[in-house]
Amino acid sequence: MPIYFDNAATSWPKPPAVRAALDEYFSDAGGNPGRSGHQMSIAAARLVENSREALAQMFNAEDPSRIVFTHNATHALNLVIYGLVRPGDHVVTTSMEHNSVMRPLRHLETTGVYVTIVPCRPDGTLDVSRLNDAIRPGTRLVVTTHGSNVVGTLMPIEAIAALARDRNINYLVDASQTAGAISIDVQKTGIDLMAFSGHKGLVGPTGTGGLYIRDGVMLSPLLRGGTGSDSAHETQPQFLPDMLESGTLNVAGIAGLGAGVRYLQEIGIEAVTEHGRKLVSKFVAGLHEIPGINVYGPTDVSKQCGVVSFNISDAVPSEVGLLLDEHFGIMARTGLHCAPAAHHTIGTFPAGTVRFSFSWFNTLAEIETSLEALGKIAGWACKNEVKTWMA
Amino acid sequence: MDGLISFFASHHAIRAETVLKRNGLAARLIPGPKELSPNCGVALRFEYAQRESVSAILAAKSVRIDGIHFYRPRTDDWN
Repeated sequence: MPIYFDNAATSWPKPPAVRAALDEYFSDAGGNPGRSGHQMSIAAARLVENSREALAQMFNAEDPSRIVFTHNATHALNLVIYGLVRPGDHVVTTSMEHNSVMRPLRHLETTGVYVTIVPCRPDGTLDVSRLNDAIRPGTRLVVTTHGSNVVGTLMPIEAIAALARDRNINYLVDASQTAGAISIDVQKTGIDLMAFSGHKGLVGPTGTGGLYIRDGVMLSPLLRGGTGSDSAHETQPQFLPDMLESGTLNVAGIAGLGAGVRYLQEIGIEAVTEHGRKLVSKFVAGLHEIPGINVYGPTDVSKQCGVVSFNISDAVPSEVGLLLDEHFGIMARTGLHCAPAAHHTIGTFPAGTVRFSFSWFNTLAEIETSLEALGKIAGWACKNEVKTWMA
Repeated sequence: MDGLISFFASHHAIRAETVLKRNGLAARLIPGPKELSPNCGVALRFEYAQRESVSAILAAKSVRIDGIHFYRPRTDDWN
């Protein structure tokens, strides 16, 4: 059995109930939701709406129609960024963002949108007053991650939401790394929009994600087309979720995602968070005991999700990844994690880091095994200096 | 294996492995060493002596490569 520590890319394994839900769709439901009135179409629609309801409940959305399904978190982020921001508008974000936020914003800059990137501290934490100072009269949107995909640092989303609300600016949270792993109450937190991945903490299949949209926030769709509703009209429906869900949904994936959400709700998100913190604490404490290992990110585990980045001083990240994979069966990601500004912030550009990311299914025993492996690799690296690799 | 091909995207890396193996050539995907190329997360090890036929096969199959390197990592000496 491999030890899988790449849950920030996609979680593995998935609960048996998720696999069963896919099978149930293909075996029994089978139809296209909302398109036809026959029982197989209705059965498929019921699967989709059950998943939507489970997600609305998990995030405490006002009602299920505020949850829109997307292909992934990137799609949800693009939906908001392109659906809300117009030339001349100003957007504020942080230096810890993933390229799924940075690339759309950099593209919009070429169309006359102004972007301010607030620098974070070397541990990835944000000084909220600096973000506050970046806001100006034309600011249309504030977008931040909830948990960094590079070092796991959590952003103070409640404080950011409060200051955005005060200035009547929409606040978009990228919850790719935290949805399903850390409890989020969108109403209590006061955020306007939240993009999430379905296949990471929410333990659903790849190809699933979604967006929460607070009542009163209007987005222009990225795609327009058939929704199964309002079929007499050649213009896009103006109501949610249909307005933003053109084309046949990934019904099988969404059914699986719903099963993942229900699985997590039975465990309780607090228990999932607690388990993640135990893994991170033990892992980080163990890393600090290995000579030659540098750990990045916050020192307070309560300000961190289940993502840890480190480097071995005498080795490059890809070497560490190769040895972990080939000799120890440990799956980790190495290099740059699609977030160049975040690597600049923590001081690991361009080499990157070795990243371990955990899920509910990881164990303390796996942490011990991996610390032993990393001890061996660090010892080996300092004894074998890097030779000239290219002849 | 003492050769390494870097790529711009994993599509081309996986495709290269498939194409080379179908032609009976040794090929193995590994995490891409950043010092050779910052472009892609995976790279392909192969026999450097076969580089001419490897290049020809990949070009014939429209596989786009970033670079071909003589490369023998120290991790080969592990234990």
